[in-house]
Amino acid sequence: MSTVARNLRVVRRMTAAEIAQQSVYRGAWIIFMLANICMPIISLLIWRTALSNGAQLPVDERYITTYFVLLGFVTMATSSWMAAFLANDIRLGKLSSWMVRPASLLVGFVANNLSEKFLKLFALVPMIGIVWWIFRDSMNIPAGPGRWALFAVSIVLGAVLVFTIDILIAALAFWMDDVGALVQARVIISSVLSGAVVPLALMPTWSRGFVDHQPFRFTVSFPVEIVAGQLTGRELLAGFGIQLGYVVVLGVIARLVWSAGIRAYSAVGA
Amino acid sequence: MHKQWRHLRLWRRFFAQAVVRETHYRAHFLTTLLVGLVQLGLGIVPTLLLFGFTSEVHGWSRAEVIALVGVYQIVTGLMATFVAPNMNRMTSYLTEGELDVVLLRPVSSQFYLTLRWINIAELTNVASGIVVLVIGLVQSDLRPGFGQVVQAVVLAGCGLVLLTAVWSAMSFLAFWLQSVGPIGVVYLSAVEAGRYPLVFFPVAVRAFLTFAFPVAFATTYPVRALAGDLGWGWVALGAGLAVVAMTLVRLLWRRGLLTYASASS
Repeated sequence: MSTVARNLRVVRRMTAAEIAQQSVYRGAWIIFMLANICMPIISLLIWRTALSNGAQLPVDERYITTYFVLLGFVTMATSSWMAAFLANDIRLGKLSSWMVRPASLLVGFVANNLSEKFLKLFALVPMIGIVWWIFRDSMNIPAGPGRWALFAVSIVLGAVLVFTIDILIAALAFWMDDVGALVQARVIISSVLSGAVVPLALMPTWSRGFVDHQPFRFTVSFPVEIVAGQLTGRELLAGFGIQLGYVVVLGVIARLVWSAGIRAYSAVGA
Repeated sequence: MHKQWRHLRLWRRFFAQAVVRETHYRAHFLTTLLVGLVQLGLGIVPTLLLFGFTSEVHGWSRAEVIALVGVYQIVTGLMATFVAPNMNRMTSYLTEGELDVVLLRPVSSQFYLTLRWINIAELTNVASGIVVLVIGLVQSDLRPGFGQVVQAVVLAGCGLVLLTAVWSAMSFLAFWLQSVGPIGVVYLSAVEAGRYPLVFFPVAVRAFLTFAFPVAFATTYPVRALAGDLGWGWVALGAGLAVVAMTLVRLLWRRGLLTYASASS
């Protein structure tokens, strides 16, 4: 059996097991998702007030509304929280017990990521639905399933991208004692550069060249833009090209760093 | 009065101990300072971008909103120093039976659970908040008189008490829910609404942010007092609400305590 097929089977089994385990905390997921949509709703109300008060924004009310209603969903769907845990497993030597197993330690983290997101969906989708219904008159809803399919594809690519960045940061634990500060820096930088705080369309003109091409745009903003914005066919093609490029390049780097780390690894307590 | 003095003396001891403790963790002090500054900078980004597109929103200029961000930073810094470290422990107090030991002590257990732990390093955020407030006031040409400053301080104090009451009430739900860690996350996300003046929100939301989740008293009203827009009536309203909120939380605590059946023994 090929390695890929085996790993996929392990991921599937572990995801099912994780879902069973995590559903014990279903109340907590509902409350966490409530916290997750607080910030987008606050931002939505603030920017709509600015618009109705005569602020000259480069985007219209429909864009702003659609953007912030979908934002909570996309940040959840592409998020990753494993960097600190993975770094701990490397530092404290839990990696050792996985090195003699027929699957990578990372498989467990993939399963954890997928299962939590699966459960969060049940809490989050109804909440987004309610907000959507309240603002239904000023939502941009693309006709036909084409845009929604692209939206889904770019969310998957975005999720892979965030996960890869986290592997890269956590893998530094092979050489460093504490990557906590780096993890925190990643969270803070990406919150602004991904468009999770303010839509990137509202960033100042002088920063656009950088903002539009840096990797974090493709972790949150790009998927939302596909639905909320009027991206032309050309822009869509370029966007997907850059997104795929980042996934491949960062994936290759993560792969190299990870295998270099495994070679440099000397387990604690072994 | 004797009892109140004893609690005040006790709190002074908590504070002194926290200061001594902080001197052992100087790196923690420095990272808290740095993270606080970065978060302050990021928190102000939406405001700066917003006022790049307009010069005023519902009568608020950029400088006034910056002053408001300063007040927000001061109030949330005080909460993070004196209240947050305790709220984050509520789950373990109740589910691991640590409350048993507290109940045996000759001190109000609610007081002890709410104010025992102090995170001195967060006071750096209060300092940076004061700087931002002063910058905002200077830029906005507001020159508050003595009376207005007193109004603002009292209103911010009421806001502090009200927010503590709300957070305590949310945390005391641990008596019935067992784990309240996630509820703290909801509180911290919702309090972000205090970064903006009340009038930036639709009318229904304004009522919510004044009476149900009262961030308005912590940020908007103090700044309006500094601008001289508020009379003493508002200060009285704030104080009245603070007393009502404290009474309600006290009742909730009593009800919760009745359901407590320890965790270990």
